[in-house]
Amino acid sequence: MKPTESHRYITRIWKTRLHGLLLATSLIIPLSGIAQDAGVNDPAHQVITGFHGQLLGVMREAKTLGYQGRYDKLHPLITSLFDTPTIAKVILSRYWKEINDQEKEEFIKLFNELSTATYASRFDGYNGETFVDLGSEELNKGRLLVKTELQQPGDDPVRMDYLMQQNKEGWRIISVIADGVNDLSLKRAEYAVIIREKGFAGLVEEIRKKIKENETGAD
Amino acid sequence: MNVTSTNFERNFSPAATLCLLVTLLILTGCASTQTHKPTAEIDPDPLESANRVFYNINETLDRNFLKPVAQVYADHMPVFMRVGVTNFFANLSYANVILNSFLQGKVNDGMSDTMRFVLNSTLGIGGLVDVATDIGFVAHKEDFGQTLAKWGFARGAYLYIPIVQGPDSVRDVPDMATKQLLNPLTYITSIYLLPVTALNVINTRANLLDETNIRDEAALDPYAFTREAYLQQREFLIYDGQPPVEGYDTLFDEDVDGDSELIIE
Repeated sequence: MKPTESHRYITRIWKTRLHGLLLATSLIIPLSGIAQDAGVNDPAHQVITGFHGQLLGVMREAKTLGYQGRYDKLHPLITSLFDTPTIAKVILSRYWKEINDQEKEEFIKLFNELSTATYASRFDGYNGETFVDLGSEELNKGRLLVKTELQQPGDDPVRMDYLMQQNKEGWRIISVIADGVNDLSLKRAEYAVIIREKGFAGLVEEIRKKIKENETGAD
Repeated sequence: MNVTSTNFERNFSPAATLCLLVTLLILTGCASTQTHKPTAEIDPDPLESANRVFYNINETLDRNFLKPVAQVYADHMPVFMRVGVTNFFANLSYANVILNSFLQGKVNDGMSDTMRFVLNSTLGIGGLVDVATDIGFVAHKEDFGQTLAKWGFARGAYLYIPIVQGPDSVRDVPDMATKQLLNPLTYITSIYLLPVTALNVINTRANLLDETNIRDEAALDPYAFTREAYLQQREFLIYDGQPPVEGYDTLFDEDVDGDSELIIE
């Protein structure tokens, strides 16, 4: 079966042998006491484990919290754990230098709201999901790829990898990669199209509209 | 798009499909002669304006016809029956996976895929029940597009083929023919084919409702979103879920403060 249209974003990849192998490795390594450069207890992993813990908490209470309740809980979390200024700069790419400082500030704030709104509307319930740590890989310039898998009873697991970078406050998330789809490069390509057609003001307006849609479309 | 791929199956005889496959392979070869430049440097979508027209046609048809039907089906069909239908059609199309596992030199996977097909077709009552996964013969995701990638063919242009396929690329087009040739439904003539095909289309679309909802939740430009997600997802599949990580963070090392001729309107 070939992946289909929207399939690409969060799609269900069948568990491959490599998955199993990775999973096994991530379980065996801590037990056998072999110290890895980036084990599951390093600070970057702790950020992700903490994030997942909080996210699962919000999911468990999703119905009682409602959309606004979830938003309010997730907003400080996303603000502190995502390096949104870096993300905004990379996503706007060449357009970043075309906007003034006030527009930059506003865009960072707006993008942070969009991320929160997306999480608040997507994680609107709990069906026994768990996150499994699959280890990590070092990238350029001290960046780290933390690999995890979201397992859902009765459904195929989703790989959730986090691109992390250290700033003066600690390890921060700079992109989420769901089954190979890098949210940051996806948004960069998408936003470039919108800026090309509607200008930066048009992009801002579209993002505002999307936040509203998530708000009204949720429970 | 898989959703409606079976429409295609009805319209082509095996011989015609084989001719098409050969032609497509030659075309892929031609389109691929410029090969392996880093993807960031080349425009992945030189046919964007035509693709967008086809995308809009497809979306209009989907929104007005297929999606509402699939929603009703999803709301009323018991889960175990949906799982059975999904298993049945996945099993019928599994020969394409077997062949492509072998073509990519994954002999162990190919053997496992063969066992999977045999077990599910027999013990699994014609594929309705997936008994093989529990025994350890897990499903793989392989197709001829991935095989061509492994063989070194470049991706070529991004394509949007309405109704029968959805997002695609030049390199992935020949797979439309291989999956066709390897599906037993191609060789059956019966009045039951029409309802069976319709069931496949509706069931497949219903399985994608979550995914399309997520797209609608997140996308500002659904066309660009679909394209980027498709292209990235294909890379992920080609590398069996372990794509090289080197390219992941190159975005961060570009000099965005450098001179640029692009100006925001």
